[in-house]
This record gives sequence, structure tokens and C-alpha cells, in this order.
Amino acid sequence: MSGMDAVPQILSGGLQGYLVVALLLFAIGLAAVLLRRTLLMQFMGVELMLNAANVALLAFARFRGGDSQAMVFYLFIIAVAACEAAVGLALVIGLFRHRDTTDSDRAASLKQ
Amino acid sequence: MFITFALITLLGALGMLLQKNVIVAGLFMVAAFFGVAGLFVLLANPVAAALQIIVYTGAIMVLVLFVIMMLNSHEEEKAQSSRPVQRWVSVALVAALAFGAVKLVLASPGLKALAQSGAATPEAMTLQKVGVTLFADHLLGFEVAGLLLLAAMIGAVALTKRNL
Repeated sequence: MSGMDAVPQILSGGLQGYLVVALLLFAIGLAAVLLRRTLLMQFMGVELMLNAANVALLAFARFRGGDSQAMVFYLFIIAVAACEAAVGLALVIGLFRHRDTTDSDRAASLKQ
Repeated sequence: MFITFALITLLGALGMLLQKNVIVAGLFMVAAFFGVAGLFVLLANPVAAALQIIVYTGAIMVLVLFVIMMLNSHEEEKAQSSRPVQRWVSVALVAALAFGAVKLVLASPGLKALAQSGAATPEAMTLQKVGVTLFADHLLGFEVAGLLLLAAMIGAVALTKRNL
């Protein structure tokens, strides 16, 4: 197999190692969004996916000689994640007030 | 060191995915974020590591845990219908995506070349470098991000306040 010679590089923290960690983190976040029904758990899954993007971004920046442009994008991603947290949690609270549930399956219709 | 932090990150995330109790899942998320911060330190980027801990574990996860306790929804509610087909399709989709992407990363010659050419550890990222790049090249984006945060703040208040 062609990928097998890269395995020691992954274990010692080469670029591919960070990318594999980012990919697995993204997959776990996606699984949380798809498989869990509690809105708060799905929300945490979204946060994990954003974090996976951050890991990949900063890994590429380090292997390109410490590029500081990546930090700017990292700051923007953090700002968007904070906005998403504020609005998303406000929506969860609003749903709980109207329906008395935080289960996304029970919020399938827009009518009361 | 890399393996330690990678394992903390991935096991924390996996614990979050499999945990029934939402509060314990939130604490697993904190562990995963700490692991990510450790990875950032290994990437010669202490600024990002500090921001990761302050913003994610300090602000976002505390907010999530507050909401969990406020709504008193510690356990997942009983499913109305179990939807086995959808669950298996999503598991297969996620597994295929992860497997395919990891295989692609391991086989890519471009990534291998980049990993070799950039193997020397660069100078650690400093706040000064970040600030110069942010305010010299991305001033408009910075202002727009501030406006976005303001809009989100007003939106959150408007959504949760019963009668404005």
C-alpha cells in the first residue's frame, strides 16, 4: 500500500499527522450532528468541526514557515464560532420555552 | 508529545459522541479543546493555544454548560421513532468520508513534499506578528468581524427576551 511508509511520520507529528487528527475530529463532529438528537449535543458537534478546521489551518501555517496570515483567519473563525454559540443557544432556549424540549426530532414543524 | 495530545483530543471527542449525559459530554469537550490547545503549542503557536483555552473552554463551553443546567436537560429524551435506516446511512457516510480523506492525505505527494520542506521548526508566533498582519492587511475584515459580533449579541438578546 502506498500510504504505509507515511505512518512513522504521522506518529512523530509530521504534517500528515496533524491533518489526520483534523480529519478524524471533523468526522466525529459530523457523527455527533447526524446521530445525536439533543440540540446541545449537535451544537457541540458543530464546535468540534470548526476546531478541526482550525487544526488543519494552523498545521499548514507551521509547515509554511510560521505564516501569520493563518492566525488572522483563525481569529475570524473564532469570532464566527462565538456568534454561532450566542445565537444558537438563544434559539435552543427559545425552542425550549415554546415546546418544552431540546430534541431536534420534536421540532420538525414550524407551527405551534 | 504529539501522540499524547492527539489522543487527548480524539478520545475527548469520542467520549462526547458516546456519552448519554449532556453535562459529562460537555466536560469531555473541554478535554478535547485542551488537547487541541496542546497541538497548537506543538505547532509553535502559543498565541493560538492561549486563545483556544480562553475562548473555547473559557467562554463557549461555560455558556453551553450554563444553558444545559438552565434548561435542566441532562439526559437525552426518548426517541419518538428510532429511524434505524437513517442512522446506519449516516454512520456509513461518516466512516466512508473519514476513511477516504485519510487515505487521500497519506497518499498525496504534494503534502509529503510540503512536510519535508517545512520540517524545520519556525519561530514561535507572537502577538506582535499577528497584530501587524491583522491591522495592516485585514483591517476591513476585522471591522466586519466586530460588527458580526455586535449583531449576534443583539440577536441573542432579542431572541431570548420575552417582551422587548
